[in-house]
Amino acid sequence: MTNLELYKKSFCETFEIQEDALKGLVYQGIPSWDSVGHMNLVATLEEAFDIMMDTDDVIDLSSYEKGIEILKDHYDIGF
Amino acid sequence: MAEKRLLENKTVIVTGSKRGMGRQMVTTFAENGANVIAHARVQDDEHMDFCNTLAEKDHVKIIPVYFDLRNESEIKNGIKTIRAKKMVIDGLVNNAGISYTALLQMTSIDQLREIMDVNFFAPYILSQYISKMMLRNKKGSIVNISSSAALDGNPGLSAYGASKSALLCMTRSLAAELGENNIRVNAICPGVTATDMINDMKDDIFRIQKEASFLKKVATPDDIANTAMMLLSDMSKYITGQVISVDGGITQFSKR
Repeated sequence: MTNLELYKKSFCETFEIQEDALKGLVYQGIPSWDSVGHMNLVATLEEAFDIMMDTDDVIDLSSYEKGIEILKDHYDIGF
Repeated sequence: MAEKRLLENKTVIVTGSKRGMGRQMVTTFAENGANVIAHARVQDDEHMDFCNTLAEKDHVKIIPVYFDLRNESEIKNGIKTIRAKKMVIDGLVNNAGISYTALLQMTSIDQLREIMDVNFFAPYILSQYISKMMLRNKKGSIVNISSSAALDGNPGLSAYGASKSALLCMTRSLAAELGENNIRVNAICPGVTATDMINDMKDDIFRIQKEASFLKKVATPDDIANTAMMLLSDMSKYITGQVISVDGGITQFSKR
């Protein structure tokens, strides 16, 4: 599984949504991406990529696209 | 060894495990079957020996980790070390603390910041990161060691008492935030306890505290460790957001 596939899977499983809903998805844009869902997403991403996200990055993770940028820039995850 | 090991197969982090209550917690938790990640600020042979001896005696893992709670980046590196062990973390006891008694005009802001760093910011940061690990498993118990000083107002305890009060507010809020994920958060408020920390206490104050207790004695570290063990165990699976005073009734006495 590629990192992008892993990333998408983390979102889809956490929020129980289909892949076609990912593009443009933002925090609190769907009911399941609330503050509790956000913490679950972070925990899932940490597990999936074996990283420990800094609190500043947890706060900045405001959209599907922003998450890719954070993982690329701060955790050397290639997409 | 206890007849029924209440923490069998659980893994628990204890901060400030070199002396006093923290050391007793490591001992009690290990006796009850827990693997313990035993934090201290500085590595030394005595602490390593303590961990190794307990691990052998109780057939559990005791893993020492060392980092300074006054330094955020050291805390994060310490957590990375813990994560690298790939263990499921069931419990976190924010035990480490520094005591301080001085009147308002004799408390420097630097001193106040150091107290807040160790007694409040460090538990906050640890709870942030360790709760994320607990979230994956949808279970966990965080126990914050506060103080009876958080519940009343005594001269000289503005800084220390404020830091411990902050911990109580954090406890209640986190219990509400994390409960949905089956992570419980509780606090213990020990009264005067027979540890090194009370060596600085003047004799007459110590005597007054002892007399104020309904039980006419001070707590021992195992009184606190046993309460923490109960809060970490499944015996307390419906207890969260609570503040438990282990003080022989001193805080009740002061209300009379």
